[in-house]
Amino acid sequence: MTKSVLYRVGLPTLVGISIIGLWQLMSALGAINPIMIPSPWDISVGFSELVTRGYFWQATWVTLQETLYGFAIGVSLGLIIGALTGTFPMFRTAIYPFVIAFQNTPRVALAPIFLTWFGFGITSKVVMAAVICFFPVVINTVAGMASVGDNAKMLFRSLGASRAQMFFRLTLPGASAVAFAGIKTALTLALLGAIVAEFVGGSVGLGVLIKELNFQLEVAKGFAVVLFLAVIGLVLYGLIELLERFLITWKHD
Amino acid sequence: MSVNYNNTAAGETISLAAVSKTYMTAKGPLPVLRDIDLEVKAGEFVSFVGPSGCGKSTLLKIIAGLVSYDTGNVSVGGEAPREGREDIGFMLQQSVLMPWLNVSKNVELPFAISGRRDGNTAKRVADLLELVSLTPVAKLNPWELSGGMQQRVALARALALDPGIMLMDEPFSALDEFKREFLNIEVAQMADKLGKTTLLVTHSIGEAVLMSDRIIALGANPGRVVGDIKVDLERPRRADMVGSDRYQQLSNEVRAALASDLEGEKQ
Repeated sequence: MTKSVLYRVGLPTLVGISIIGLWQLMSALGAINPIMIPSPWDISVGFSELVTRGYFWQATWVTLQETLYGFAIGVSLGLIIGALTGTFPMFRTAIYPFVIAFQNTPRVALAPIFLTWFGFGITSKVVMAAVICFFPVVINTVAGMASVGDNAKMLFRSLGASRAQMFFRLTLPGASAVAFAGIKTALTLALLGAIVAEFVGGSVGLGVLIKELNFQLEVAKGFAVVLFLAVIGLVLYGLIELLERFLITWKHD
Repeated sequence: MSVNYNNTAAGETISLAAVSKTYMTAKGPLPVLRDIDLEVKAGEFVSFVGPSGCGKSTLLKIIAGLVSYDTGNVSVGGEAPREGREDIGFMLQQSVLMPWLNVSKNVELPFAISGRRDGNTAKRVADLLELVSLTPVAKLNPWELSGGMQQRVALARALALDPGIMLMDEPFSALDEFKREFLNIEVAQMADKLGKTTLLVTHSIGEAVLMSDRIIALGANPGRVVGDIKVDLERPRRADMVGSDRYQQLSNEVRAALASDLEGEKQ
């Protein structure tokens, strides 16, 4: 147990430290242009300056809200549409072709349109995040429901299960593991959607901050914000993984 | 084992008269059963053997009310078949256990669905697990059990509502030979004690001989009865009967009935 934890945590840590060390060494030797790629040290100095500024935490809070609101709306709608599509063949025939067609259009291209419709405030970012994370949830929910085996359905029929019992006791738990994989993808995409929408047009947020820092040639601080976003993404992903382990206890290796 | 076998529901009769069934497929109509006549006595253990596509499983599903039939008459315990009857226990090729429920909860599932969960359910579930020798694993998850143990959970679940009729659709086919033979004997002995009418679909002639009172051999394309062989091995059945002369003779009889149909098909 200890050995495996040491292996799973220790090895990537060692790789990370080696990469950062090599990067720092090459920067110090002048092999890397600091305007293009600042050194890890400069980035950490830039980050330590940013965390003392109120606007940095305000931007973080705004981006987090956009991400989480967008995620909640996108996932809720995705689960509802996915459940309806998986349950009612007529709904599937009527709606699913549009879902697939929309899935294959580059949704980030909608960001300027949402800006026009909903303005420079938080709403256009929430909508972008929701739209971008909606599709993997729909598709995984439908796939999860389709993965419930015919034998299990037959067993429930033989037991005289009602439609509601079939849904709540079989389809819902049976689909949840696959649907949850979509929800995990959705969380990452929600953050992406919020940042893209901020790039296109916004006054506050980490995306806005990255753009402004780059305009001011504060590249090290820009990098620091990007890395901070990666940490936010990892923390959110870790939380959703914990939730998955709590809810889907039967998913085992 | 302290399980009381005397308080269980008695077996019920099953009767089929001139039953035919045709599936409509993309390539056109596919007849699967033609003029099946069959009388099964209460408490009798009857196996259906035959090649793939002879309609064995369809026959079981018709009796369970899961598939409709086109012509003929079917009576199950004096009533027309319909799905969701509590007097029928159904066991499939796969154990079909719900991975989100532990062993106990899987056995409890029929009580939950039928709305018959009450103060006695926990005791009944415990008795069923004892009957199939799974008391020590009651709180384990299905994936922690071997294939044979999973099928025993499925057996306990099928017996949960104390049905008069047990329908088993190739329940042992996914198991290795050793576990299969062990469960064959265990289920055959249990059927003796419980006195339920049991219908077993199997590809294994040996399994059918070892477990049944009667074997119905079905020919294919479409499925029809080509042999009705009475198995007169003494009860309770034992594993050593497999080597007996009578076991071999009966196996050969079933084989001959199936072979004659195949010969007829070639000509």
